[in-house]
Amino acid sequence: MENSTQESHLRSENCVTYDSPYPIYAMAVSSTTSAAARRRSIAVGSFIEDFHNRVDILSFDDETNSIKPVPSLSFEHPYPPTKLMFHPAPTSAANLLASSGDYLRLWDLRDTSIEPICTLNNSKTSEYCAPLTSFDWNEVEPRRIGTSSIDTTCTIWDIEKGAVETQLIAHDKEVYDIAWGEAGVFASVSADGSVRIFDLRDKEHSTIIYESPQPDTPLLRLAWNKQDLRYMATILMDSNKVVILDIRSPTIPVAELDRHQASVNAISWAPQSCRHICSAGDDAQALLWELPTVAGPNGIDPMSMYSAGAEINQLQWSSAQPDWIAIAFSKKLQMLKV
Amino acid sequence: MVSTPVGVRKGAWTEDEDNLLRKCIDKYGVGKWHHVPLRAGLNRCRKSCRLRWLNYLRPNIKRGDFTRDEDDLIIRLHKLLGNRWSLISGRLQWRTANDVKNHWNTHLQKKVSARGDGKSKSQKTTILKPRPRTFKRIVPFSCRDKTTYEPNISITDQNSDNPSASSSKQVDDECTQWWSNLLDSVEIDGGSNGISLELQQEDNGWNDSSLDMDILKLFTENNMIN
Repeated sequence: MENSTQESHLRSENCVTYDSPYPIYAMAVSSTTSAAARRRSIAVGSFIEDFHNRVDILSFDDETNSIKPVPSLSFEHPYPPTKLMFHPAPTSAANLLASSGDYLRLWDLRDTSIEPICTLNNSKTSEYCAPLTSFDWNEVEPRRIGTSSIDTTCTIWDIEKGAVETQLIAHDKEVYDIAWGEAGVFASVSADGSVRIFDLRDKEHSTIIYESPQPDTPLLRLAWNKQDLRYMATILMDSNKVVILDIRSPTIPVAELDRHQASVNAISWAPQSCRHICSAGDDAQALLWELPTVAGPNGIDPMSMYSAGAEINQLQWSSAQPDWIAIAFSKKLQMLKV
Repeated sequence: MVSTPVGVRKGAWTEDEDNLLRKCIDKYGVGKWHHVPLRAGLNRCRKSCRLRWLNYLRPNIKRGDFTRDEDDLIIRLHKLLGNRWSLISGRLQWRTANDVKNHWNTHLQKKVSARGDGKSKSQKTTILKPRPRTFKRIVPFSCRDKTTYEPNISITDQNSDNPSASSSKQVDDECTQWWSNLLDSVEIDGGSNGISLELQQEDNGWNDSSLDMDILKLFTENNMIN
């Protein structure tokens, strides 16, 4: 990706839209190609305030610039899925999709159908569960999935055994997002306004590397830069700023990107570059930022921007397709070419 | 002060006393319990008045058996909170803490112990609570006095007491090493304030220049971890 510093609006050829019959929220782009080399799978989860929701698998072909649903690969999901993720390193034998909502569920993606594998439930009294706000699949150790829940705990699952590896009381309030850094290190953000890093080798301690400036302002999302593990990005509730943190210099953010005109909803680091990050928010804009070596006096300006038709709720930047960014707003999914 | 504590009545409340108390509350509202015995003309201790009101005379108290929903809620809350009845009853609508406690002790406790023995053998995942370590509030780089977070960058080659910290300069090499260093150097910071301050005083000039270099390095491509 070139470091262009001009602001540019994406042209319409570089934008592919899919209209869904219901509002969508959770989204995942698969990390590998399917049999036909240029097609990618995208999983979208509906956001209907009801028990019955659906997850559809779409096929994105960037040669014909089209997104088509695959009708046979669509399944029911109880309650809206809060997050969807494909297996980070799938093989033909194990092509999995994970979804979080009331529980963590694993699904097996076959060519013509999707079969549920298991529902991972940790509560001993099986009548009640604490809903999961988010989860992350460890790319280095794909048998580990970490989930974050509103009961203030983070649970690390070993999905090959189907059992809990560890459960930690991570925060004082609900945990809203979790992200893996390494094989045994993860970070989480919470309604108590702190970003904490946990190391599975030392479960007695966690490290708070940032707390929101107004106490108890919830932090909603966390993104860990997989290309440069020093950097993390987080967003505060109802704030138009994206806070960039360097874990080597805790408590003070490296940068605050505040060019959005309304609250930011989603952030994603570029999968192939350590300096680029994309953010989207309620101002219906997706902004692409390049973090400079030295910040200018007026703050950092975005490298490019895109205006969508409505508030953008979700953003995914897949490592398998670094030149396309997926955004979701109201009932549409759009793939934007970078 | 009201009548001497020696003279107050103890024991069961009579209907007359209940009526007097009710009238007093109707007239003056709930609260200011230290005035209530005087205003009501009761020969009772003010604590006794308050408890009588809270546990028996309040109009909205739900009496009668506990429903299944309430039982489930009590069991769950007791698992979470333990014997903190006021907190538990706070969650239940119109049940006094006293009633909840009595109900637990008479009915629910045996139920839970019976259930618990069966389940606890199957899955025992202990939930751990990591204790958070915080860094002291970092002062911007321009202030040269306090460099309390510096352990990562500053303590190299200088301090023989902490062999683990000496390798903290090799941050770029492997993240795992960095992590162990991070945790170790945090221990140093939290544990012995005297030593860390001392170091910083010695190394003041050197710290700052190395700091600036490191800041510049942070964003340059040379520093990218593959």
